[in-house]
Parts: sequence; structure tokens; C-alpha cells
Amino acid sequence: MLRHAIHRLLLAIPVLIGVLALGFLLMQVVPTDPAIVRAGPMATAEVVAQIHAELGLDKPIPVQFGLYLLRLAHGDLGVSIINNIPVADELGRTMGPTLELMLASLIWSIPLGIFMGTIAAVTRGGWLDRLIMAISVAGVSIPVFFVGMILIWVVGFQWDLLPFTGRGGPLWTLAGVSSIILPALTLGSVFVGPVARMTRTAVLDTLRLDHVRTARAKGLPEIAVIMRHALRNAMVPVVTLIGLQIGFLLGGAVVTETIFSWPGVGRLAVGAIVSSDFPMAQGTILVLAGGFILINLVVDLLYAVLDPKVRV
Amino acid sequence: MRRLLRDWLAVLALAVVVLSVLAALGAPLIPGDPYDNDLSMSMQPPSAEHWLGADDQGRDMVVRVIYGLRLTLLMGAVSVVAGGGIGTALGLFAAFYRRIDGLVMRCMDVLLSFPAILFGLAIAAIAGPGVTAVILALTVATIPLAARIVRGVAVGEMARDYIEAARATGLRDSRLIVKHLLPNCFSALSVWATLRFGQVILLGAALSFVGLGAQPPTAELGAMAAAGRNFLFFAPHIAIIPSVAIFVIVLAFNVLGDALRDLLDPRLRNLGD
Repeated sequence: MLRHAIHRLLLAIPVLIGVLALGFLLMQVVPTDPAIVRAGPMATAEVVAQIHAELGLDKPIPVQFGLYLLRLAHGDLGVSIINNIPVADELGRTMGPTLELMLASLIWSIPLGIFMGTIAAVTRGGWLDRLIMAISVAGVSIPVFFVGMILIWVVGFQWDLLPFTGRGGPLWTLAGVSSIILPALTLGSVFVGPVARMTRTAVLDTLRLDHVRTARAKGLPEIAVIMRHALRNAMVPVVTLIGLQIGFLLGGAVVTETIFSWPGVGRLAVGAIVSSDFPMAQGTILVLAGGFILINLVVDLLYAVLDPKVRV
Repeated sequence: MRRLLRDWLAVLALAVVVLSVLAALGAPLIPGDPYDNDLSMSMQPPSAEHWLGADDQGRDMVVRVIYGLRLTLLMGAVSVVAGGGIGTALGLFAAFYRRIDGLVMRCMDVLLSFPAILFGLAIAAIAGPGVTAVILALTVATIPLAARIVRGVAVGEMARDYIEAARATGLRDSRLIVKHLLPNCFSALSVWATLRFGQVILLGAALSFVGLGAQPPTAELGAMAAAGRNFLFFAPHIAIIPSVAIFVIVLAFNVLGDALRDLLDPRLRNLGD
């Protein structure tokens, strides 16, 4: 267990260095001088030169990389070119809504996917299996923005049932809950198909195992065999694969946030890139990449806890 | 091939793929220009004159969808071929020269640690939004996937007797790789590439939709759907038609890929998941 954890942590190091180097590179290739950005448009040449020295921009590249890491460690990600707001503040504001949206999507799509996958495995080859698999293939083929636009058009506009722009407030308020429903349905819809497919494969694999046959031979009702013996064992690969698919979800989040004007990191990133706000773009990409690495690491460790076979 | 034709769903998918490729290739032959606007026709719903209606600028949607398909398929093809090609080469080298295996595959692991959307964001941030940025991002995201699959198959092949025999005849490494190792990876590669094509199209369209890919007025399906979003409530066809086009073509690639997988090698069943 410990060895697995250490191995995983060690593997995360080159990835993390890669991300940090990418973030640094991003600032090297862009045509703007961060000192001028910080000083503002009215600053004199002396002030700019002074900030240059403060930021270490007159030093050789490796030293600059070190200083950059040091600034990152202090949570200093620079300021936005567009509105002079510190990037870290803006990220702090947007991270919550993005996590909220992702959790709200997973909370319905994973159980539904597992349910559909199990039903498909149990009725293998039957019409229900074929229907569920058809739905999941359609689910992985449909563009997220298409789902979002249909929901906005039908539920939000035609039926006038739910709001579809922005975040109404915190989740413990009615406005907050009603505003997250459509974005969460949109983002979660891309997840149901893959989860159903994985669950079906995993359950089919475990249904073939000896202990399931024993359970059946004991005369246990089929539902107990499936719930207690097959599904439980099938959960290990499913959890891992769900973790690996989080990146998929991240892509969907960027699109979903854009369609629903959801104030999250993905929308912030797209806006920053489109408006050439380089410090902001760099900050959002760093946070998204870092968050993704962290999630993968947690899933990896969780996997070891769930599956005793990995611990050895 | 005959077994594939017995599966009517796969046949339908194949027909959709072939038809869209033909339409994309033949786009310049059809009458009409994707940028030809007639403001009097603005936001017209589908009619006899304009089968799929006209967009906000009064441009014919049939023509725009076909040109959009052309660009969308081109973006997909370039990134799957380039990414798949580079990945295949890396995978073959890793399997053949075991000394570099660890290094190459660790690099691939690092690349694999990032979702494609992050490459899209990063490259668009550096190079500026556009079709090139999208193709570059999708190519980079495709390389490690191909490398992993090819290496997996090739390592298995390397243990076979015929490689030893071919080596004993004094065949050069390069010929051995190209003539013997590569052909044995083709069936796994073709299944993977078909499924990947669908994913890449979906990703490219998403990037264009949020504004990081093809820029308006370019006829590209994702960008067209994004432009139509502004008129969703009074002229929904402008956004819905390009979205349906993406859905249908991606679905066709996925169904075809699944059918190919079942046909060529049941062992590859988990490849696309």
C-alpha cells in the first residue's frame, strides 16, 4: 500500500514539473511585458524598470524560472491585463462553482450509469441490453453543447421551468438549486454512457467468477447474487475508470460553463484566452491541470484502498 | 468484410461515413457559396428553396453544413493521421529497442496525464485561437494513445518466432519494423483510429464552439452551432442543424468502430472505453 502510494507520488512529480514548465513557457512566449502590465498604462520608464528588477525579469531564464516557482508558492499568479484583478482572487472565486457543477453532475450520472450498466449485463443479449447500449453509444457521440442547447430551448424556454443563465446563488437556496439543474444535467449526460459501458463489462466479468456461481448454487435470490457478489466486485475497475474519465468531464465543464454562463474556471479560461489576458490564461490552465493531477492521484490511492490486490 | 455487411447498423454507419466524406470532398462542386449572404433570407426556416433554411446572415444552411463538414472532417483526419503516425512510430521503437522503452513510455504517460481540452486551452493561449491550434492540440493528445496501443501489440509480436527467424536471415532493423512488426499492428490500429476519429471530431467541435477553434464566419460545424446559439429562441434550426450533423457523424464513427472491433478482434473489446 505504502509502496504503491510512494510510486504514484513519484510518478506525479515529472507531470507536475511539466505543468509548471508549461505555465512558465506560456509567459515567455507571449508578447506582453508583465512589468508594464503590473505598473499600469500611466507608469514611467523608471517604475517599469523597477518592477522589472523586482520580478527578476532582468535575470537569466533559469533564475527567472526559480523566481516564478517562488511566486507561485506564495500564491502570486500575477494580475489580469484586462481588469487588473489579481489572478489568484479570480481563481478563488471561480473554483467553487466549477467543483459544485462537477459534483452535481456526478451525483446523478454515476448512479444512473451503474444502474444501467448492471441491468444491461444481467439482461445480456436481450432487447433491454441492446437499448441501454444504444443509449450509451449515443451518449458518447452527442456534443455536450447540443444537449445544453436542447435543455435550454425545451425546459428553459418552451416550458419556462428552470433558469439557464448564471449561478443563482449558494446551493442551500432555492435559486441556487434551480440554476444548477440544467447545467448539471448537461454535463452529467456525457458521463452516463461511459459509466454504463464500463459497469456492463465489469459486471459481466464478475458474473463468470466462481464465487458468483457458488452464491447461485447456494440458492441465493438472483438480486442478492448481483447486488452483493457481482456488483461489489465490479466496483473496483469502475471506480478507477471513472477517475480516469474525469478529464473527459473537465472538457465538458468548459463547454457547459460557456453555454450556461456558469461563473467557473473553464469559462474564465476561455474568456481569458479569447481576450489575450495571458496572466489569467496561465493561472486558469495551471489550476485546471493541477486539479486534474490531484484528482488522478486521489483516484489512484483510492483504488489501492478498494482493491487489496494492488496493495501487495 | 462480408461479416461486417451482415450487421445492418454497421452498414448504415459505413454509409453515413462514406457519404459525408464524399460530400466533404465534393463540396466545391456543389452550386452555392458558404459565405454568400442574402439578408432578405435571414433566419428563414427550412423551405423548398433552402432545404435546411438560412442562418442569421441569410446564408444557405445546406451549403454551410457541407463546407462545415469538410473542415470538421479535415481537422479530425489531420490530427488522427499525424498523431496516430507519430504515436505508431514511437510505439514501434519502444517495442523494438527495449532500452528506450521506459523513457518513451514514461513520456507518453506524462502526456496521457492531461485531458485533451487542456492541450486545447494551452495551445490556443500560446498560438492564439484557430483551426491550427485545434489540430495541434488534438494531434498532441492523440500521440500517446496510439503509442500505447501499438507498443502493446508490438511487444507481443516481438516474442513470436517469426521475428527471430526474420532476424536470423539478416534483415535490417528498419525493414523488420516496417515489413513485419507494423502490419501486425494494423487491425488494432484501424479499430482505434475509427473510434478516435469520432472523439477527435467531438473535441474539435467543442473547442470551436467555445471560441478557441475555427473563427466565424468560417463554416465549421462547432463554430456554426455557437453562432446559432444567439438565435436559439426564434430560429433554433441555425444551431440545431450543425449540432445534429456532428452527432450523426460521430455516432457513425463510433458504431463503425465498435463493429470493426467485434469483427477483427474480440480481445480488443475494452479498447475504446
